[in-house]
Amino acid sequence: MQTFNHHNRIVITGLGVVSPLGSTLDTFWDGLINGRNSVGPITLFDPGDFSVKVAAEVKNFDPCMYMDIKRADRTGRCSQFAIAASKMALEHSGLNMSFEDPERIGIVIGTSGMPELLGEQAEIINRKGPNRVDPLVVSKYRASMVPSHVGLEIGAKGINTTVNSACSSGSDALGTALNLLRLQKADVILAGGSGANVTPLAVAATGRIGALSREADPCKASRPFDLNRSGFVYGEGAGMLVLETLEHALKRNACILAELAGAGWSFDAISETAPVPHQRAKAMQLAIQDAGITPRDIDYVNAHGTGTRLNDSIETKALKLVLGGRAFQVPVSSNKSMLGHLGCAAGSVEAVASVLSIINCVAPPTINYDTPDPECDLDYIPNAARETKIYACLSNSFGLGGQNCCLVIRLFEQ
Amino acid sequence: MTDPIEEKLKHVSLKITRKPDAHFDGQTTFKDLDADSLDKVQILVALEEEFDIEIPDDEISDIVNMQGFVEYIRKKLENNMNSPGQQQ
Repeated sequence: MQTFNHHNRIVITGLGVVSPLGSTLDTFWDGLINGRNSVGPITLFDPGDFSVKVAAEVKNFDPCMYMDIKRADRTGRCSQFAIAASKMALEHSGLNMSFEDPERIGIVIGTSGMPELLGEQAEIINRKGPNRVDPLVVSKYRASMVPSHVGLEIGAKGINTTVNSACSSGSDALGTALNLLRLQKADVILAGGSGANVTPLAVAATGRIGALSREADPCKASRPFDLNRSGFVYGEGAGMLVLETLEHALKRNACILAELAGAGWSFDAISETAPVPHQRAKAMQLAIQDAGITPRDIDYVNAHGTGTRLNDSIETKALKLVLGGRAFQVPVSSNKSMLGHLGCAAGSVEAVASVLSIINCVAPPTINYDTPDPECDLDYIPNAARETKIYACLSNSFGLGGQNCCLVIRLFEQ
Repeated sequence: MTDPIEEKLKHVSLKITRKPDAHFDGQTTFKDLDADSLDKVQILVALEEEFDIEIPDDEISDIVNMQGFVEYIRKKLENNMNSPGQQQ
């Protein structure tokens, strides 16, 4: 059993989100509890020949609202989302950088950067030669530049690092930050994930392996746990959270939103693409254990719930292993039914949603749920949000490639 | 009469450094435009595109201001006109 003290306890004091449902906390939350579908036709590129026609895009994003134009020039969409969400989270937390030791403020971001930019530059090398590559391509594409750009913008000088574990990246970054704070490597860490996946290469490559839904109707494309689900829908965005030690938060009279109580990891070790229930269950169990609670304390599950045939049935099996007989009583829902799959940002945007669920005592629905699947027979909060008190929320992320990371987010009690 | 080479150099430099209202003449330096190393590389690549020339780093290391760049570019263009086979 863990011993809790103010250093072990890590609290959440600020939230920031850029998402297909909106880029303020109000619009984001309003969209979630009203079951709004943010999936629509792809507009960021021409999907003419593509078998996939829909995505969940961030609408009307103007980077100059969050940074000066020179920073906007030097950053790709992924960094821009991260900067925007980070600044929102920082403002939300009330943390004043002028009063802080910048070397005790860290940044950990789950992201894969913008690797598709490399393809464009390879073409320029072929056509015009190596000297004509865009000098900004490294600044714009490298995953490591995402937290670097955030650090440059906010003046944080502590740990600054990137995590990449595919779809688990956002959760992985939060769990990594949790442990760094517990080890007192920082007082505050701005942690989360960012992804800008609606690109020709990402859509083509993921579509080719059959993971993306080819449903052209945006209202039917993302349907986790439904019998007729056919894959996930790519989305984009960023979710950033201000995490700090309880001691630091109390010292500055911060408004504490919730507690990041635990994180658990596991690796499937079976295949590049096929998941296994017992390893997913292991990650959940480790997160619950790390939080110092038992499965009986879990009141709501923010599922990974991608809408692929395998993920949803395997995640259901794993939840039964963890929750036992209670599995049929604990509500489970997938934010991805409304947001699409935000890639490296998914875990962190869903963590933001989980905090809001706890604060507001409302669990968002799984929308587009029409036909139950016998292999997915839990309570997925179909189509309408539900008022429910949540003491502890389990938030799942399972990465393509088998990297699993689960978080426990809990109501804060002094 | 305005020098077309200087005009293009001015346009590229002010656009990339995001200083549309900055003073620009032959004595202007990169430092005057708050240009860092990334800005300089971008400006050089843009000039290569604009004038269809190559600008090796070792050929410009002694250039101190925009007038120096104008003269360098003019000489490059003259050399390219005189020896079309040398053009890339």
